[in-house]
Amino acid sequence: MNHLSSETFKENAKAALADVQLRGALKNATSLFGERRKEAAAGLPNWEDLRSQARAIKDEVLLHLDRYLEEFVRNAESRGATVHWARDAAEANSIICGLATERAARIVVKSKSMTTEETHLNEALEAAGMQVVETDLGEYIIQLAHEPPSHIIAPAIHKTRQQIGELFTAELGMPPTDNVDQMTSTARMKLRDRFAAADVGISGVNFAIAETGTIVIVENEGNIRLTTSLPRLHIAVMGIEKVIPRFNDLDVFLKLLPRSGTGQRLTTYQSFITGIKRAPSDEGPDELHIVLLDNGRSRMLAHPVTRQSLACIRCGACLNACPVYQQVGGHAYGSVYPGPIGAVITPQLMGIQKAAQLPYASSLCGACREVCPVKIDIPRLLLHLRGEISPRKGSRAERLAFKMWARVMTSPSLYRLSSVAGRILQRVMPISRAWTKGRDLRPVESKSFHDLWTNE
Amino acid sequence: MSNSAREVILGSIRTHLAASPPADDHPVTPANPVILSNSDPITRFKESLEAVSGHCIIATDATDATDVLKQILTDLKAQRVAYSDNPPDKHDIFGFDVGVSTAQAAIAETGTLVLDSAGERHRLVSLVPPVHIAIINASCIVETLSEALTLLQKKEISPAITFITGPSRTADIELTLAIGVHGPQQLYVIVDGSK
Repeated sequence: MNHLSSETFKENAKAALADVQLRGALKNATSLFGERRKEAAAGLPNWEDLRSQARAIKDEVLLHLDRYLEEFVRNAESRGATVHWARDAAEANSIICGLATERAARIVVKSKSMTTEETHLNEALEAAGMQVVETDLGEYIIQLAHEPPSHIIAPAIHKTRQQIGELFTAELGMPPTDNVDQMTSTARMKLRDRFAAADVGISGVNFAIAETGTIVIVENEGNIRLTTSLPRLHIAVMGIEKVIPRFNDLDVFLKLLPRSGTGQRLTTYQSFITGIKRAPSDEGPDELHIVLLDNGRSRMLAHPVTRQSLACIRCGACLNACPVYQQVGGHAYGSVYPGPIGAVITPQLMGIQKAAQLPYASSLCGACREVCPVKIDIPRLLLHLRGEISPRKGSRAERLAFKMWARVMTSPSLYRLSSVAGRILQRVMPISRAWTKGRDLRPVESKSFHDLWTNE
Repeated sequence: MSNSAREVILGSIRTHLAASPPADDHPVTPANPVILSNSDPITRFKESLEAVSGHCIIATDATDATDVLKQILTDLKAQRVAYSDNPPDKHDIFGFDVGVSTAQAAIAETGTLVLDSAGERHRLVSLVPPVHIAIINASCIVETLSEALTLLQKKEISPAITFITGPSRTADIELTLAIGVHGPQQLYVIVDGSK
C-alpha cells in the first residue's frame, strides 16, 4: 500500500469509505476503546479535577519551556546521560545514525515511538546499512506490511486478524491460522532472536522529569523494557514538549494516560530511567543518549491557541471519539498523527499548505474536546488553523450568494417574493446539490410565518 | 554542532513565548485522594492483581513464603530458575524458565509491584523468563500510586525503577487480549504476611 498524502485527504477518505473491511475494523476498535475509556474515567470521582490539574501543569511547563528543558538536561547529564538537540527531523536522524555508525552497530531494535515515525528514522537507519526491527506487536505487523501506523496507540487497528494471519504466513512462514495467541507467540519467538542480537535500542519517551532527569516510558508488552535493557546503547527520542516539572506530577499523568488510552488503571509496565548504571556489574546499557527534537514545536508556542497542541500526551482518545476518524481511519490523514489531534498538529509540523484539508476534516462536534485528558480545545484550534488557510472570505460564488441574501433579507417585498419562489423552485429544480448529497433538506412550508400571522 | 542547535532551539522557544499573550486560565482544584474500598491493603492488592490476570498468594510468614515458592516451582516443573540476587548473564537468561525477585514496594489500588535497581538486579529476571515470581513483605504495600511515588523520592532516584502490573499483554490484533507477548506469560506474587 502506498503512503497517502495529507494533500489528498478528500480522495483518501473517499477510498477508505468504500473499504468495507476497514470500516468494520474501525467500528469495532473505536467503540471498544471508547467504552473502556468511559468506564475507566468513571472509576475516578475526581476525573475532572485531574484533567484541570494536568492541563495546568502542561501550561506551566510550556510558558517556561526553556527553563524546564535546561533543568531536565542538567539533571539527566549529571547522572551520566548524554543529551542532543535536534532542530528538525534530518538533524535528529543524522545524530542517531551517527551514534549507531560510530559504534559499528548492525541491528537496531525499536520500541514504539511516534516521534521517530515523524522523523522517518527507519528509512535513515536502513540507508546507513542497518537492520531496523520494530518490536511493538502492532508496529511489527505494519513494518512487515510496509504500511504506516493508523492509530497513535494501536498502529495496526485497521487490520483484521485474518489479514494479519495471512501476512505472518507469507512473511514469517507461520502455519495458516487466525488464532491471536498463536500469532502473538510467533512474533514473540521471532523478536526474541533480534533482541538478543541487537546493538542499539531506540525508544520514545512519555514523560521527562525536569527535577530528576528521569525519562518515563509506559507500555503493556515488555518490548520497551527489552529495548532499553538489553543492547549496550540506548537512544531515547523525545519532542521538546515532553518535559514535566516534578516527579510527583506523574501521579496525575499516570492516572490520566492509561485510562484515556486503553481504559486501564495502569499499563502493565512503567520504566523510570535516570541516567546510566552506577557500576559496571549493574544491569542495563553502557550508554544513554537522549535526543530532544524541535521540528516546528517551538513555533507553536507563539499563540495561546496553537500552544495547546503541545500539551498532548498522545493517548489517542480523540481519535476513538471522532466521527470522522471512526469512518475513514488513520491512513486517510496522510500523517503519522491522524484524527483530531493529527488534524491540528500535522499542518503545524508540515506547513499549513501541505495539509490544508486536514483542519476541515471535522464536523466541529466537540467530542474530541470532551475526552481530551489535558483539555485541549481542538475545535478552537481547527477554526484557528482554518483562519490561517483561507484569509480570503470564501469563493466568488459564495460572496455573490451572500450579497444577494443580504439584499433579499433587508427588503420586505423581495423577501416575500423569495419565499414564494423558494417554494416553487425547490420542487422543480434540484438546488444545493452539494448540500443534499449527504443529507435531507426539508421542503419549505406551504405557508410562511408572515401568512399565518396575517390570517390568524 | 549540537551546541548551536541547543542555542537555536532555546532561542526559538524564548522568542515565540515572548511574542505570545498569556494562556487561558485553568483553575486548579487539588485532586483529593480517592479511597476505592475499605478493605485492608493486602486484600486490595490481591484483588487488583487478580483483576489483571496475576496470581497472588498470601503466606503467613517467611518460612511459609519459601514453601509456597518451592511448591510453585514444583508445579511449574521448572528446570532453570534465575534469581535476582545473582542473575545470569544477559545472553544466558533467554534459556531460563522462571525468574524470581523481590519487590521494594507494591501499590494496593492498582496491584502494582515496584522494583528498584538499588535493591536488586531485577531488570531481566522479571522480564525475560516466561514466568516471574516476586516475593514481597506485606509491610511494603502502600495504598496509592501517589504514596509509591513519594516513597521513591526519599533517596536519590535509582537508575532503573520498574512498575509491573500483571503479566505482559497486548491487544494489537483486533483489540483481542493476548497474554505474554514479550514479557512473562505468568506473574505470581507471594506476600509474606509477617509484620
